[in-house]
Amino acid sequence: MDDTAHAAAASDGAAVAGRVAIACRGITKRFPGVVANDNVDFEAAEGEVHALLGENGAGKSTLSNILTGLYRADEGELELYGRPIAFQAPRDALDAGICMVHQHFRLVDTFTVTENIVLGDHRDVGRSFRIQPRAIERRVVELGERYGLAVDPRARIWQLSVGEQQRVEILKALYRDARILILDEPTAVLTPQEASALFETLRTMAAEGRTVIFISHKLHEVMAVADRVTVLRRGRSIATQRIGETSSRALAALMVGRELQGSDRQRRESFGNVVLSVEGLSADGDRGVTAVHDVSLTVRAGEIVGIAGVAGNGQRELAEAITGIRRVKEGVVRVDGKPLRSGDPRAAIHARIGHIPEDRLHTGVAPSLSVASNVVLKSYRDDPHSRGPMLMLRVIGERARSLIREFDVHTPGPSTPARQLSGGNLQKVVIGREFTGTPRVLIAAAPTRGLDVGAIENVQNYLRDAATRDVAVLLISEDLDEVLELADRIAVIYEGRIAGEVDAKEASVEELGLLMAGGVGSPEPPRSAGAGFAGTEAGNVRP
Amino acid sequence: MRVRIERRLNQPRWLPLVVPLGSIAAAFLIIAVVLLATGHDPLHAFRKLFLSAFVDDGALSSTFVSATPIAFTGLAAAAAFRMNLFNIGAEGQLYFGVVGAVGVALLLKGAPGSVSIGAMCIAGAAAGAVWALIPGMLRAFGRTSEIITSLMLNYVAGLFLNYLIFDSHSYWRDTTSPSASVFPQGQAIPDRAAWPFATIHGVAGGIAFPLGMGVAVLVAAFLWVLYKRTRFGFELQVIADSPRAAHYAGMRTRRKILAVMCISGAVAGLGGASQAGNFDHLLDPRSLQQQLFGYTGIVVAALARYNPFAVIVMAFLLGGLKNAGFALQGADFPSGLVGVMQGIFLFSVLGGELLVRYRIRIGRSGRAPAVEAAR
Amino acid sequence: MNHGIVVVVLASAVAYGTPLVYAALGELLAERSGVLNLGVEGMMLVGAVMGFWAVQRIGGPAGLVLPLAIGVAAVAGAAVALIHGFLVITLRASQIVSGLALTIFAGAAGLSSYLGNNLHLADSPARHTFHPLDVFGLHDVPVLGPIVLAQTWLVYASWMCVVLVALYLSRTRPGLNVRAVGESPAAADAMGINVVRYRYAHTLAGGAFAGVGGACFSISILNQWVDGLTNGAGWIAIALVIFSFWRPHLCLVGAYLFGAFQALPLTLQAREVTVLPTEVYESLPYVMTIVVLVLVSTAGAKRRLGAPAALGLPYVREER
Repeated sequence: MDDTAHAAAASDGAAVAGRVAIACRGITKRFPGVVANDNVDFEAAEGEVHALLGENGAGKSTLSNILTGLYRADEGELELYGRPIAFQAPRDALDAGICMVHQHFRLVDTFTVTENIVLGDHRDVGRSFRIQPRAIERRVVELGERYGLAVDPRARIWQLSVGEQQRVEILKALYRDARILILDEPTAVLTPQEASALFETLRTMAAEGRTVIFISHKLHEVMAVADRVTVLRRGRSIATQRIGETSSRALAALMVGRELQGSDRQRRESFGNVVLSVEGLSADGDRGVTAVHDVSLTVRAGEIVGIAGVAGNGQRELAEAITGIRRVKEGVVRVDGKPLRSGDPRAAIHARIGHIPEDRLHTGVAPSLSVASNVVLKSYRDDPHSRGPMLMLRVIGERARSLIREFDVHTPGPSTPARQLSGGNLQKVVIGREFTGTPRVLIAAAPTRGLDVGAIENVQNYLRDAATRDVAVLLISEDLDEVLELADRIAVIYEGRIAGEVDAKEASVEELGLLMAGGVGSPEPPRSAGAGFAGTEAGNVRP
Repeated sequence: MRVRIERRLNQPRWLPLVVPLGSIAAAFLIIAVVLLATGHDPLHAFRKLFLSAFVDDGALSSTFVSATPIAFTGLAAAAAFRMNLFNIGAEGQLYFGVVGAVGVALLLKGAPGSVSIGAMCIAGAAAGAVWALIPGMLRAFGRTSEIITSLMLNYVAGLFLNYLIFDSHSYWRDTTSPSASVFPQGQAIPDRAAWPFATIHGVAGGIAFPLGMGVAVLVAAFLWVLYKRTRFGFELQVIADSPRAAHYAGMRTRRKILAVMCISGAVAGLGGASQAGNFDHLLDPRSLQQQLFGYTGIVVAALARYNPFAVIVMAFLLGGLKNAGFALQGADFPSGLVGVMQGIFLFSVLGGELLVRYRIRIGRSGRAPAVEAAR
Repeated sequence: MNHGIVVVVLASAVAYGTPLVYAALGELLAERSGVLNLGVEGMMLVGAVMGFWAVQRIGGPAGLVLPLAIGVAAVAGAAVALIHGFLVITLRASQIVSGLALTIFAGAAGLSSYLGNNLHLADSPARHTFHPLDVFGLHDVPVLGPIVLAQTWLVYASWMCVVLVALYLSRTRPGLNVRAVGESPAAADAMGINVVRYRYAHTLAGGAFAGVGGACFSISILNQWVDGLTNGAGWIAIALVIFSFWRPHLCLVGAYLFGAFQALPLTLQAREVTVLPTEVYESLPYVMTIVVLVLVSTAGAKRRLGAPAALGLPYVREER
């Protein structure tokens, strides 16, 4: 079994691991309304890759922000190589040799790679007040070769791909000779090949005696790269295990707190007519490069079509093109056969396309305006919400109150600013609003991102509910499990193209993973359960 | 001791009202300290200020004269700033309002007063709106920041006025009267076109309430209804808060930007018409460029936190301050003090704004000593 | 030849442009750190009045008093800038409103006027002024003589400042840090750079430079003090920063260009050459700035040439 083969390699690696590098004892951090970290104990040793596993909202990011000095814990202590330590500011953590690669890169777009790497490197203060670019460029190339992180030191960040930008982030840490490296969900923006290259890099660093802390919510990755794993759930540290002594299933149970049930969804057999038809759609991205290439798909009434893919392959642009937010370069979108005007959100709204956007806080709602205002965000022009040029405020208030009741939104009242709602409740408002107009089509883009387990279930139920009411649902999600769970048909998007389409009943994780990575789906014998993506086993050659 | 600034989660309703008032009170304190430091008696000074601004004979009338133009420019600024459109060009838009209004008044020489006055309003507003369209279009279609463009156009407008009166024999220039041959000046509007005052007898020697101020109050009411109760106003709120959400909801942002700039310019232009109609009666570039109505209007709007009715109140108060400054000018009340006081009020209110959105927490002292990491 | 229109205009352009160079360099530094300061006019006026006061009241030889006066002007400008800095950096107030408030507070009907009138500075001309030098005795050299070799110390110092600021931004670590603060304070903060400290430092530096620029008027060009003597130069300086794409060497070029536009009408008037009304020339700096701003704002140019990305936005850490 692949698990044990790797486990053997891992326990050999574990023998190299030395003393404890960083330790947390009883760390507690509170924010208004939530305890993000509750008495957390955690430690990582030199020479190991230690995974921090947990769902969204489990407290991983908060803990790492405390480790890097961005937040200060309310209670508890930190120890560095056995001695107590406290950070006043991120600079202290950096000086102590702790570097973090965030999910959202902290790079200056207009600077070159070299400039970004030099930024904030205080070790040479006094000695090199002047910057000598050539020496630094040489070192960058050197480090790139040693760790497999090749990148052009003179390139500007906005010219680089996301994967290359991440390499710059890691190079920053290596340039400072970081002893402890923390990576926050690093593979969210990588293809499986890039991910396995990253794991190689991490293992090389660990073998040198550095400490790597790897934050993730993906089980197969954790199993593939880590020596030990600590599971967080609801702000508490639940367990710490050696990889060799556990399995994906066990970890999943610890993460969620209950045994996972397999999906037993009753799948519909027959669907209605084609409602949404996308034909040869091409659209440009924010940087002028084509983000969506010649995409065609159809969704029938009552069907849920899932689009799977690693984030950053054109999903956002596709959703925006279909809903009129983004101008279409070529091709056409039809609803019930009628073509939509490109680049006009109002046309899409008229055609009764509901849209749950990826960025619910900044696109889906106006954050400082009240819940009531957001409820009528799209319908304020219609009777009875307004008569002529004047708004009917009382009617709007009523509408908001009834939506709050119907969708069980937890809020002090309809006049509460939207930004004060939790992610799950905010999503309820968005969903409630989109459902109000009895849509024909529903585009749901990453609808459960950043939500806690209960909210995720809610949203997924709504989507299923919509399908039973003959709405054509297009679900775009980076969460492959979610797509497998909900969709009737699955398409994979890779670099803006539809790489392949399968019926959900016949889909397998391996095949979909291959498609997501750009490989062509081929009829290979199914691998045994529990294996990660192809190419992550130790000893595999980098592509 | 660590002072932390945290974002407030709940905003009590009384907060947006109490904080500005508290800030103004704090400002009075600071001014009192400054006065003490320079050898003046603060209470005496404040008392004199209050009396010359509002109580003395003719004080209220003079205060209205000072307050009216800045009420208009304050409303113009508030209308735009609320939408995150920083129209600094009210100054120039007011200039063009004067040009438009005086031009029309001179044109309609024989017409009855009410016609002239109405035409002046329309011409003034239109001229201001057109001048505001330039930065508006550059912002809506060229994505160019309206801050600098509207600011630059103020200077161009001023130079244009100079040209009209000092450097050419334009329609606006007085070519006939004897004093005009000595020094260039503007042509006066016909008497019938002069805007009337409503006189209230018996109080403080009679109060002359200018028509312009009345128009300003109406404009304030109009703006308030527009922003709070109409679809247009709703769209503005959404666009100001989150342009992305506005686009997502199908709102047409570009047209709104143009509309708001036009409204703002029109209000400022109307202020120019009022200034010419009620007070100057001619185009006086020198005076206009010295008074800085446009920039003072921005101060008024900021102090009023962009609420139209508060703008009227603030304009009245600042007008009183300005008027008192004139009346008291001398060793006792040096020139420049008005600007200093205005500045301190504004700094105070600006600083106080923080308390509306954030909360200050003072943390515990004492923590584990930081230790150098062993390498 | 040296009295031909072109040479005279260019020589005057350098003289008039120098206060712009100082003020624009200062504002450039502030904006590079992400702080927009519209109060330049006010800071210049305070610098002008305090520099003048120093010259009138401090005893000693010109060689001592003049540099001291420049120092006083710089400190005065920085003190005024401190108010703006405190409001927008620590108290997170709107940078635009605060800058305008600063102009009203310190400007022609405010603090500078108060100080000037109270200290009776309008009564007499400057006791010491910066005289044009005669470098190597070459002031008669054709063309270059009057333009380059017969200017005041302030002019030559301004050239040095341009070079220093340019080197600072492009070749030193603190310069890199401040650019990062202006482009992406979050990235800078994560790299351990103290965003607050950099912003304060550069805002104060902006005030100091503006103060020196104002002093150019009172103790070098006009040699007396009147209320509002800078006459809008502060606003032009703000425009100049944009016009120069936030690059110091272009500031120099732009300042002299704008200076030429100011000198041109006066020179033409003196020679009774009137092609266009003077107001047209006087409006050129403003119109040109608008044109440049429009060009810079197109999406492609923005990335290469544009403003520091975080300009005008307050920075808050620890936001959930």
